[in-house]
Amino acid sequence: MSINTSAKISQPFQANTEPMLEETSNKATTKSSDNKSDITIGENIIENPKFSTRNVDVFYDDKQAIFNASLDIGRNEVIALIGPSGCGKSTFLRTLNRMNDTIPSCRISGEITLDGENIYDKKMDPVLLRARVGMVFQKANPFPKSIYDNVAYGPRLHGLARTNSELDEIVITSLEKAGLFNEVKDRLTAPGTGLSGGQQQRLCIARTISVSPEVILMDEPASALDPIATAIIEELIDELRVNFTIAIVTHSMQQAARVSQRTAYFHMGKIIEVGNTSQIFTNPRHQLTENYITGKFG
Amino acid sequence: MNTESPLSGHISKRFDSELEDIRNKVLTMGGLVETQVNNGILALMESDSVIAQKVATEDYKINAMEVEIDEQCVEILARRQPAASDLRLVVTIIKTITDLERIGDQAEKLGRFELELIDEGSTSTQYAKLEHLGNLVSKMLHNALNAFARLDGNVALKTIKKDKKVNDEFESLMRQLITLMMEDPRSIKNALRVSWCARALERVGDHAINICEYVLFLKHGKDVRHIDYKEVKKQLSK
Amino acid sequence: MNNTDKVKQSLKKRYAKEKRFQLYGKIAVMTGFVFLGLLLLDIITKAIPAFQSTEILLEIPLDRHTLELSSNIALNEDTLSAIDYAGLVKKSMRQKFPDIKKRKDKKQLYKLISSGAEFDLRDMVISKPELISTTPLLIWVKADDDIDTFFKLQTRTSRVTDKQAEFVEQLILQDQIRTSFNTTFFTASDSREPEQAGIKGALLGSFWTLLVTLFLSLPIGIGAAVYLEEFAPQNKLTDFIEININNLAAVPSIVFGLLGLAVFINFFGMPRSVPLVGGLVLSLMTLPTIIISSRAAIKSVPPSIKEAALGLGASHMQTVFHHVLPLAMPGILTGAIIGMAQALGETAPLLMIGMVAFIVDIPGGVVDSATVLPVQIYLWSDSPERAFTALTAATILVLLAFLAVMNMLAIFLRKHFERRW
Repeated sequence: MSINTSAKISQPFQANTEPMLEETSNKATTKSSDNKSDITIGENIIENPKFSTRNVDVFYDDKQAIFNASLDIGRNEVIALIGPSGCGKSTFLRTLNRMNDTIPSCRISGEITLDGENIYDKKMDPVLLRARVGMVFQKANPFPKSIYDNVAYGPRLHGLARTNSELDEIVITSLEKAGLFNEVKDRLTAPGTGLSGGQQQRLCIARTISVSPEVILMDEPASALDPIATAIIEELIDELRVNFTIAIVTHSMQQAARVSQRTAYFHMGKIIEVGNTSQIFTNPRHQLTENYITGKFG
Repeated sequence: MNTESPLSGHISKRFDSELEDIRNKVLTMGGLVETQVNNGILALMESDSVIAQKVATEDYKINAMEVEIDEQCVEILARRQPAASDLRLVVTIIKTITDLERIGDQAEKLGRFELELIDEGSTSTQYAKLEHLGNLVSKMLHNALNAFARLDGNVALKTIKKDKKVNDEFESLMRQLITLMMEDPRSIKNALRVSWCARALERVGDHAINICEYVLFLKHGKDVRHIDYKEVKKQLSK
Repeated sequence: MNNTDKVKQSLKKRYAKEKRFQLYGKIAVMTGFVFLGLLLLDIITKAIPAFQSTEILLEIPLDRHTLELSSNIALNEDTLSAIDYAGLVKKSMRQKFPDIKKRKDKKQLYKLISSGAEFDLRDMVISKPELISTTPLLIWVKADDDIDTFFKLQTRTSRVTDKQAEFVEQLILQDQIRTSFNTTFFTASDSREPEQAGIKGALLGSFWTLLVTLFLSLPIGIGAAVYLEEFAPQNKLTDFIEININNLAAVPSIVFGLLGLAVFINFFGMPRSVPLVGGLVLSLMTLPTIIISSRAAIKSVPPSIKEAALGLGASHMQTVFHHVLPLAMPGILTGAIIGMAQALGETAPLLMIGMVAFIVDIPGGVVDSATVLPVQIYLWSDSPERAFTALTAATILVLLAFLAVMNMLAIFLRKHFERRW
């Protein structure tokens, strides 16, 4: 830590540069030892969670990406995962629907349960899991097919509609829920890739909710969008909360503050602090969270 | 000292200096307010019309500073969207300067009433001993500003604790003045002026306590307003 | 001197450099074009005569009396094929020049006509028996290749005698000699006589060979590419296979011919000279090309599409077959077509497995003896008759045309079906 002389006050109240946040500073000093014991500050464990992770370690070959992460995700809540790049938040998100299975070098230990079922159990089919836990990606990635086919793909895959009219209904309600139907109702057969960035992302959300998942994971869903499109997506997330549990990774702290009820701060593969979003953004308890949120050097 | 100043260390160096700047301005404003209050008390004690005049007219400086700091705070909110301790600092400053401005108004009142008393050919000391209350309040203000400057929670807590003393002193002064007024109705006019002065001093104390509460909010992130001292202590120790 | 001046000074130099570089590029391109132009010009000028053939008008009496057929004999194939057509043709020639008596001259006279004329006449009569009537048949028959060359190019070689030149001049005067479009080139197969030789056999041979190649190398190539790119575990064995496939693409094609000879013909005992074996050998040769280009096409499918499908709960197989393959298809087909074009132009490995034989029959399937276009070119370029030079050039043109069409198809597929995301 450096001595900052500019903080010295040359005014009537000649004050020394005594630390402003004595106690949190103390936490920061104890933090270094905390790193070893991997204690997460705050309410990472809640009652009756939808998703529950306990002591999860993730490795890529020999490199450990997640250290002893324990975090619960409540029902019908939006939880924001924030942290600097490479802190493991995306990796953590991807362990929740076993997208990391596609990476051969990835190893996971610990326990992750969805409604009490261990998702890494041999009996758990990753295909079924991914139907229950949908995912929206950073870059809008509609299939190069028509808008209709994009949304209909999931239901067709899982045989959710017996007749064409049932499928039509699923597609329409999904598009409606994603707030896109009115914009595309006249051109459902037009290619999905021809939409604007924000519309594409909403199409991807419609595609995700078409299979009625229980949880939606969002990996920086608005990072490539302009503020208006971002606001629309954020509003949508808030509406979706009624029916789904949502975990969202975001680089924009303002976005995390706006859309989430709880926030988890990741740092170097560890969950440093979890708490109510308003608490995290007004009064974080850990110095690292404080530094990240106020934009200070970690 | 090997801890970073809480205001510095932002990746944006300009943000550091902006926060530093408004904080310094608040301290300058605090100094100005404190001088005003002390001068007001001095004028009362000494029946000094020059000082009283000065106190009565200098308030505009404080008002101007309040406006200036307010604008800067709004600008920081708009441009930096501060969070966590930064957010608490800015919010604290916005509130603190409001209280400081009100203290300034009270000081101005002291000056004005003293001038009126002097016009009547009277002094406050004839009616009541405001000196003790004045010292108490002056000390409280000083400590509140000190707590703000150093973000010293302990000083803030101690200052909040003094509220009762001020209230007691004020009550006793009021009783004294009421007795006086009942005994001598001709003195009512001036006695009221003196009571208003006492009232002003008491208000200064209240505002000082508000500032201390903001300091506690800034430091601990907990709102400790409108609860009694014991409860505050319990909350903070949690 | 400030920076702007310095920059200004260096600007001139930089622009000059740029211009020089562009000039080098232009020169290089021009050189390439000049050579290509020369090549094409040479081939085309040589090929033009092959598309025309010289014909001589014959008047052949086809009444029953001349043919010595009594009126009670039925006109069926047996009786018609028994007729002495050679005699008829010769007689008709003699009638054109009645004053020729010497045996030697007569022989030279007969040589004006292609030896295939009598067969053409026979085929014509058999297919149309009503031609047997009192009115004589007027028929244009092919001239001999030497006469053909002499008449078309107006240059006499030692193979055309003075007497023959005289005959031709007389025919010209009587307007009984002409040139017309050489349909034989496209409808006949190989022959010792250039005027009777065509490329239909070789063309069909190429077709059958490529069909075998396509049906073998495309599924195997795509399958291998999909497996290696999507499913194969990342280990030493996979790496080893990858390196070998890449190296296989650089193996000289004749080695594949040797391999085909050793494995398919000697070991499995397959017949020689057939498109099946040719196709097998060419499959071996085009497989690496197809695998490499298919893998590149599969790799270029953005991972975000795969993730989207996986995230919706599609299995790995479904992801590959619903999304990756369709998106990679234009690239895969482009690679396949280029591989096919390569196979179409390949000669060396086919020489090894005996597709270089002289085959007159037109192949009707993959196990009929056949030759292919490039081998036909090779064969004809070796023939002594002058007319074969033109045929060689014409065949090269046909081959080039097919290659161009295939490449254009590849470009079309790439441009039209390539999806943007």
